[in-house]
Amino acid sequence: MKESKKGSSGIPVVIIVLVLVVVVVGGFIFYRQSQPTSKPSTAATPSKTQNQQPQANYATAPPGAQPPNMLGSPTATVTVEEFADFQCGSCAAAHPVMKEITSAYAGNKNVRFIFRNFPLQMHDKAYDAAVAAEAAGLQSSSKFWQMGDQLFTNQHIWAAQNADARSLFLQYAEKIGLDIEKFKSDMSGMQAKTRVDQDLTRGRALAISSTPTVFVNGKVVPYAEVTSAGMRRVIDAELQATAQPAQNAPSGNSSN
Amino acid sequence: MSDGDIQTGRSEGIAWIPVSAALVALLGLADSVYLTIHHLTAVPVPCSIVSGCETVLTSPYAEFSGVPLAAFGAVAYFIAFSFAILASFGNRIAWTLFGIQVALMAVVTAWLIYLQAFVIGAFCQFCLLSALTTFTLLILFVISKLRQSK
Repeated sequence: MKESKKGSSGIPVVIIVLVLVVVVVGGFIFYRQSQPTSKPSTAATPSKTQNQQPQANYATAPPGAQPPNMLGSPTATVTVEEFADFQCGSCAAAHPVMKEITSAYAGNKNVRFIFRNFPLQMHDKAYDAAVAAEAAGLQSSSKFWQMGDQLFTNQHIWAAQNADARSLFLQYAEKIGLDIEKFKSDMSGMQAKTRVDQDLTRGRALAISSTPTVFVNGKVVPYAEVTSAGMRRVIDAELQATAQPAQNAPSGNSSN
Repeated sequence: MSDGDIQTGRSEGIAWIPVSAALVALLGLADSVYLTIHHLTAVPVPCSIVSGCETVLTSPYAEFSGVPLAAFGAVAYFIAFSFAILASFGNRIAWTLFGIQVALMAVVTAWLIYLQAFVIGAFCQFCLLSALTTFTLLILFVISKLRQSK
């Protein structure tokens, strides 16, 4: 009995090691095969973005809420405009990127950032969240960004199925030092809602089909490019492109 | 009873239990490896008006201190598989360890189902497949114990 057990005890170990090898090797191959989906797009898009023309109706589409939620100078030559939904997971994932980029270019008067609300219908609390951010913005424009930050970083809490989002929004409002009574009345008032609706109208006119959608001077930045490095590349290219015509202005303007 | 004939208790007919447990664990292992790689390589998909977005695999619950939960699942299934294979060849202690392992996995799985249903509010198919394989393993273990006690 002992012997037969010893004789067979090697087999299970062999099977286990075999499975481990198959899993590791197979997993590695599958991992390598899965990666190209992101790689070519990152490699191919910079040129695509550069050659891309601004969306045809970008300048003529309804302007959205005025004044927009904006960081930077209104006269900047490069405009980064993000359409996002506070309840969308990929918008929350893109939030740290956008935050990093906005602070990286904060000193550059040629770059400005605009946030547009584009709450999707499938997200039950997204519209309310957009209204909450706008209501905060009615108190001061910096409060809009602070509220947006709260909404994105706590998304998994208030967006949870059984969460009482509105009372959580009040907590965030308190946390960022808003006048709570005013916030409450602005939440139910028309002004904040109108601003959200105006942004939505602009987004629909621009045929936005997913969030986040980021425009840089009217050109859509592919979602795979919405990374720290990708955004820098696109913005820097646009900064260069907008700086060059000024240098070449004599020849360009002569035809005017 | 010598320590050679084991898992199967008195009847020789139930050796199929650890063997099928090993196969089911293998399925769970493949599933979690797939989920882990998917988690690592998936560029989060933007939320589309038409097709929605992947809530579950991109939720903060999908990782535990930076490691995808699915990777823990893969390790857990591999351990369960190893115990089941050892048990198939007559290692009784391995079968007991298998039971403990699978019971722990079932508890974690129940928690994950709760999260999907009540907190995240969305399910993912391959996570549910993993739940199914875990509960199947638990049921197999329970059956073997019931048979043994007869």
